[in-house]
Amino acid sequence: MRQTLALIWDAYRDLNSRKMFWIVLILSTLVAASFAAIGFTPTGFKILFWQISSPLFNSKELRPGDFYKTVFLNYGIDFWLAWLATALALISTASLFPDFLATGAVDLYLSKPISRLRLFLTKYLCGLLFVALQIGCFCTASFAVIGFRGGAWEPGIFLAVPIVLLFFSYLFCFCVLVGVWTRSTVAAVLLALLFWVFTFGVHFTEETLLMFKLTEDSAATRLDGQIKSRKELLAHWEHVVTTQPTTRGSDYVTMYQSELKSDRAKRDDMHGTFDRYHAIFYDIMTVLPKTSETVDLLERVLVSKAGLEHVSRNAQNDSQDATDLNDNPVPIEKLHAEMNGRSVDWIVGTSVGFEGVVLALAAWIFCRRDY
Amino acid sequence: MIDRTIMSSTAAGYAIDLQNVTKIYHRRIHALQGVSMQVNRGEIFGLLGPNGAGKSTLVKIMVTVVRPTTARGMILGHSIGHKGTLARVGYLPENHRFPRYLTGRQVIEFFSALAKTDRSTRKKRAAELLDLVGMTAWADSKISQYSKGMLQRVGLAQALGANPDLIILDEPTDGVDPSGRRDIRQVLLHLREQGATVFINSHLLSELETVCDRVAILVGGKVARQGSVDELTAAKQCYQFELEPTPWPVIVAAFPGAFDFGAPPEPGFPTRGKLDENCWCEFDGLTLRVGHTDAAAVQPIIDALRRNNLVIRRMQLVRPSLEDLFFEAMTDPTTGQRALPGARPPPLPGAR
Repeated sequence: MRQTLALIWDAYRDLNSRKMFWIVLILSTLVAASFAAIGFTPTGFKILFWQISSPLFNSKELRPGDFYKTVFLNYGIDFWLAWLATALALISTASLFPDFLATGAVDLYLSKPISRLRLFLTKYLCGLLFVALQIGCFCTASFAVIGFRGGAWEPGIFLAVPIVLLFFSYLFCFCVLVGVWTRSTVAAVLLALLFWVFTFGVHFTEETLLMFKLTEDSAATRLDGQIKSRKELLAHWEHVVTTQPTTRGSDYVTMYQSELKSDRAKRDDMHGTFDRYHAIFYDIMTVLPKTSETVDLLERVLVSKAGLEHVSRNAQNDSQDATDLNDNPVPIEKLHAEMNGRSVDWIVGTSVGFEGVVLALAAWIFCRRDY
Repeated sequence: MIDRTIMSSTAAGYAIDLQNVTKIYHRRIHALQGVSMQVNRGEIFGLLGPNGAGKSTLVKIMVTVVRPTTARGMILGHSIGHKGTLARVGYLPENHRFPRYLTGRQVIEFFSALAKTDRSTRKKRAAELLDLVGMTAWADSKISQYSKGMLQRVGLAQALGANPDLIILDEPTDGVDPSGRRDIRQVLLHLREQGATVFINSHLLSELETVCDRVAILVGGKVARQGSVDELTAAKQCYQFELEPTPWPVIVAAFPGAFDFGAPPEPGFPTRGKLDENCWCEFDGLTLRVGHTDAAAVQPIIDALRRNNLVIRRMQLVRPSLEDLFFEAMTDPTTGQRALPGARPPPLPGAR
């Protein structure tokens, strides 16, 4: 325990000495302060001391609490914590292992009565401490801003600490693996960022393919209904023409036969191509860490906890009518239902599984190597 | 692979008892080829060798930084690789890199904590050690402000932080000025007085000669020589006669039979011969060396020189330095070639 405490205390001193730690902390405070700079009055809103009249943005039309919560969700979490602060944190912590493994530095640690595995895991957890402190400070500031300025005290905000930390750990474990393997900070940063872009790309592609698949499914269902009704109409007019032959009746039969043929041809083209590609990307995504979904978990929890269903992005998107290039309606609502229907166990479980494998590989390299 | 079989009871007397330590890097670089070495408790032991001889690898194996390919042996009564024992071992690596955000005092306290020293002891000990290495005035300055010599001093203090029984120092005087070297030497002698065992790996032969009780010379991953400085140099002690320039035939005539098969000496290449079965001799044109350490035994030689009217300028008993031993160990006796730096694959069977 004495050794672990010494390592944690050393990690704190290390972070304290890094300029980037303070830069990110100051930036986090500025982001939170920028929320606080906006205030609402019955006639409009205020930015610092400047009053701006607005018929839409005022305390009568908008509940200030909802506004701050929405800003926290859409910008504080989705933009600041999940992108910029994470990138800065990765850059700051990427050198942790390469510096530690430098010849002459690692010797000092390995020659002490502490096992390599414990040393590795403690160092790893100390790296996560960086992000935990950053998110903790940002959430505390946001909690205070929403409470004091918006009049809504929302402790659920602090769920951002474990969830964003979990999200960061997916990237950090990869960064550690590269750092341990190459002992290069530059390689660790670049490959971790590349990996992040890759996982985001896989997520984006999978979501897009899912949307195409659902659109195709929806179009197929619509077409099936259309074929069925055309068949009924065709049967009706064929019966009419058989019993009372007329030119008009024959025209209808010809028209419905042609339309039915066209609909059947269209339906035959729908071979479930997107279904196949989506299945491939879904499998790839299953083994990869789910960065976007993990951050979305926070939104899922906070939206329901804070009663923000009416202002959430999903709700806004669901209410919009969308069509694809063929004027088929895009089932946005279904897409969100599908995405939100993915269980926390699947999202977190498979991601933590990936993290475990990557960490085990990094630990194995660390423990087996000669320095 | 570490053989953890219990060593014989005689091993209990050694601080370090290594048997057949080998290390092969990447399946082809034979850094250590069956090193066996014993270091007594309470002595200062020096490890010498050219670059790439495997010295640092051996030291790193002892402190578990490098994993041996095969190793049998004990350190402070426990098998090599036993982590618990490292609480009693202080280590100063070569080219160490202490965290630059720490002060000298924090370095000592931090690494003492990793060696499981309790808080009050490490605080007290850090102050004592900073005083011992003459760094009290700089104790609370950041490491980044230290010179190389100051870093070595703090590094030495760090190695002593947990009050270890065995101190392993890899190039401890590297980058230290002469005054600092003397201070470090004093610290090492002080540690020996306190009963600690000190294992030093250094290139500075004169440094080692002054403080070491015993030394080992490592060449090409093998122990070429091992023993006390006196033991190792005794066989090479000789009487040396500095003469006026003497023609080669006169010397040959003065010692009939001794140089019968030798060619005349050339500068830097003395001619060797034998005075009798037990006494070698050597002449380089100006200096005659004979392998006797007994003054009485060399009287007939003086007589022979005088009989042949050779003028003796000076006569002295010469003991070879550690440097002489080092170079001798590095030189292949059959080819006269000096060992090249760096470890390499062993020669193929039958290759010359």
